[in-house]
Amino acid sequence: MNYGKKFSSFVGLRRMDLVMAAIAAAIAFSGCGGSAPDGDSNEMVLYHVLHTRIKGLDPGDMRDVYSIMVGSQIFETLYDYHFLKRPYELIPLLAKDMPEVSPDQLVYTIKIKRGVYFQDDVCFTDGKGRELKAQDFVFSIKRIANIKYLSSNWSLFDDRIVGLDEFREYTKSCKSEAQVDCSRTVEGLTASDDWTLVIKLTKPWPQLISAALADISTAPVAKEAVDYYGKDIISHPVGTGPYKLNVWRRDSYIELGRNPTFRGELYPSAGEEGDAEAGYLDDAGKPIPFADRVVWTVIEEYQPTWLLFLQGKVDATVVPKDSYGEVMTEGGELTAKMKQLNIQLKTFPDPSTYWLGFNMADGVLGNNKPLRLAISRAIDRQKFIELFFNGRHLVADGLIPPMMSSYDPQIKQKGYARYDPQEARNLLEDAQVLYGAKLPTLKIAVPGADTWSRQFGQFLERSLRAIGLEVEVQYMDLPTYQEKINTKSAQMFASGTTAGTPDGQDFLSMFYTKNASPGPNKFNYSNPDFDRLYEQAEVMGDCPQRDELYRRMEIIVLEDCPAAFLNHRVGCVLHHDWYKNYKPHAFAYGLSKYRRIDMAKRAADKELLKKIK
Amino acid sequence: MTAYIIRRLLYTIPIVFGVLVLTFTLFTVVGGDISLEIAGKDANRQTIDEIRKEYGLDKPLFLSWDSQFVNHLKNALTFDFGRARDREPIIDKIKRGIGPSLALTVPIFLGVVIISVSLSLVVAFVRGTVWDILAVVICVAGMSVPYLSFILFGQYFLGYKWGFFPVFFSPYLSLARNVALPVLIGIAAGLGGNLRFYRTVMLDEMQNDYVRTAFAKGLTMRRVLFKHVLKNAMIPVITRVVLAIPFLFLGSLLLERFFGIPGLGYLMVEAISSRDYFVIGAMTYISAILVVAFNLITDICYVLVDPRVCLE
Repeated sequence: MNYGKKFSSFVGLRRMDLVMAAIAAAIAFSGCGGSAPDGDSNEMVLYHVLHTRIKGLDPGDMRDVYSIMVGSQIFETLYDYHFLKRPYELIPLLAKDMPEVSPDQLVYTIKIKRGVYFQDDVCFTDGKGRELKAQDFVFSIKRIANIKYLSSNWSLFDDRIVGLDEFREYTKSCKSEAQVDCSRTVEGLTASDDWTLVIKLTKPWPQLISAALADISTAPVAKEAVDYYGKDIISHPVGTGPYKLNVWRRDSYIELGRNPTFRGELYPSAGEEGDAEAGYLDDAGKPIPFADRVVWTVIEEYQPTWLLFLQGKVDATVVPKDSYGEVMTEGGELTAKMKQLNIQLKTFPDPSTYWLGFNMADGVLGNNKPLRLAISRAIDRQKFIELFFNGRHLVADGLIPPMMSSYDPQIKQKGYARYDPQEARNLLEDAQVLYGAKLPTLKIAVPGADTWSRQFGQFLERSLRAIGLEVEVQYMDLPTYQEKINTKSAQMFASGTTAGTPDGQDFLSMFYTKNASPGPNKFNYSNPDFDRLYEQAEVMGDCPQRDELYRRMEIIVLEDCPAAFLNHRVGCVLHHDWYKNYKPHAFAYGLSKYRRIDMAKRAADKELLKKIK
Repeated sequence: MTAYIIRRLLYTIPIVFGVLVLTFTLFTVVGGDISLEIAGKDANRQTIDEIRKEYGLDKPLFLSWDSQFVNHLKNALTFDFGRARDREPIIDKIKRGIGPSLALTVPIFLGVVIISVSLSLVVAFVRGTVWDILAVVICVAGMSVPYLSFILFGQYFLGYKWGFFPVFFSPYLSLARNVALPVLIGIAAGLGGNLRFYRTVMLDEMQNDYVRTAFAKGLTMRRVLFKHVLKNAMIPVITRVVLAIPFLFLGSLLLERFFGIPGLGYLMVEAISSRDYFVIGAMTYISAILVVAFNLITDICYVLVDPRVCLE
């Protein structure tokens, strides 16, 4: 049958309709809303990316790094790290001075700055934020102790402050969080007047300032806000910081604006050597914050992050692994194209260590040191870093990262991280003899089943098979993995940690007998000599003697080999040239107040980015 | 028909109950205790116990009026899903996500259906010609390209390189502009499979005698195709189209993630990766109700488009 003529007339009509439809669609898509401006074009806005959504903006229960990154612009702590100085130095933020410490190191008296106000909010009378007082710190720490609040930060204060554990016991008898009487006296946590906070410790805790009082969990929260918002306080932050929350579209976007009642601060006038040359002191003495707004977009995938960065819509990003070749040369420098686009590269050591851990409570591994050593010698760490991190990370010769004051500069020469397959085979033979039979297939728990985890698992499998050891890599989701480790049922596990303070204690506490699983000692390692030194060092302030003790403890651990330490991370960040004062910091998060945008440069560079695609 | 509808509505009770039993068993009994995760990595026993109490995990699983299962049933029937693990009410999450999800999936759905049904009529009409062969080749090629490739190439070329669309969701742009590129990609990626399916349906229909008779009577081609052929081919079309509607509410997992559209697909992915059983349970329950409802609507539509079908 020939439908030719009829078909052509049909197509002709449809074409007209399609053209009309296309015009209508174009109007619909471009017309309504149009390209709404990103606010006032003269406004200084910082554009950041979060690679996962934040959980909440309540400092008392804040533990994930992304929530802390945002929350630290809104909330402030008593102490913070100096933005520029290295080694890292703690300075007063909401405190007037550094604390007065009693000779027995048990009583800390802290004077609070005057003239600090909570941001304006409907939770206050007339909507005007009131002045910050010492009682706000008392309330905020008691709130963490309140068991009905279910804070994930309680472990920080467990058995630390006189009377606080008893207060926690009392809260158990209350029916709800709101029923808890926070005016109840806690002997070790008092405000002697509106401007003086007194903390009495159960035993010396030299890390009180760095681990607790500079940690966002102790940032003061107004009782009025807690009472007014109840459980919804996670999305209604009321802080004293330089910024306040403007918009939070959960899962996608967060915008902070200047806090108009912020007391004002000045950009630091001193830094470390080389800061002036690097331009970090160009703004010395100027009032901060510089930016009017700070914006975070939640982008979980690398491609859109990278494309937005190349469009100039994001100020800084990590080096995307899929675009590594486009960004970096084999020598670890920026490619010509990146230089042409005025993109800057910043690399910085990260206080982290990653390892393949051995469960010392396991019947096969725990009593077999040659086996553990054989595994450690079988892993080519340098190759691992080249394969998985483009050669950017550092080999972990010990457990304390090089940026820590207690890092042992001689540790590399001691050869604990050496790759020696022949020695590994010899050790494996010894292990076989010690075990008394053929070694069973060992199991390695790896968190995650994504491509990276699988490749990592295959690398370990291949390394150990090369010396004649049979292993099975078990990929699992994070909760299953955590449960396995916490219940001491994992044999070997891939893990790592990042220190929250410049003190190496975070790493050493992972090997203290009393911290065994479900505590931080996931290795279930126990050595009386180590414990004795740990207890001795635990109450010591930062001094060369303590560093020496730390080094001795590190050697004890490395000799016993409860883990094959693999690598220390090296941060690698790209930013546009218009993004000023971008000095990486390993421990502080409230840094947006220091960042500045060179607006003229941004406009010029954006044109350049449009031209060169 | 009324009796049929009532009977079908009654059938939904055991189906929904079954879904609730299944989700409860999977997440609570098989999935294990989540209090350890909620507590954080260094939490002590006391904190873990308190969390168990707060989330009702200390109650018996089944054999009590105040058991976890009975509470699960009560909450589901009253649509009181409680709070997610991040302490935000789940219903707020769903309300917030449904708009962006539908703004993305409805245009994709309509675009794919309208274009593929229209094109399938044309392609079926010119069957055996070079145009038909070309259309089939393009369809197969489109089906063979992974969905992710459509996204990556679309985002790179249409968004970044040529700058026709925004690369990523921006709250400063209208929703229409934000979803334009993902909608276009969704339509392009969905056309291949749909066009092939509808082409087969239309080909079957075009071979019937009434089509030849209609043309012999001198009817226009548009009238024959869109009034007669399309109407008679509606049963398989309706089956495919109406049953797809419940899934529109679930959003598009990949598109939402790559374009930052804060919809329900994204919510579901996040809930799965963080083992937020409270959110997964709520979403599964709502999906089950929608699937059952749209199954019933499909049956009713059969009667409306084809008088030969009778519901008994």
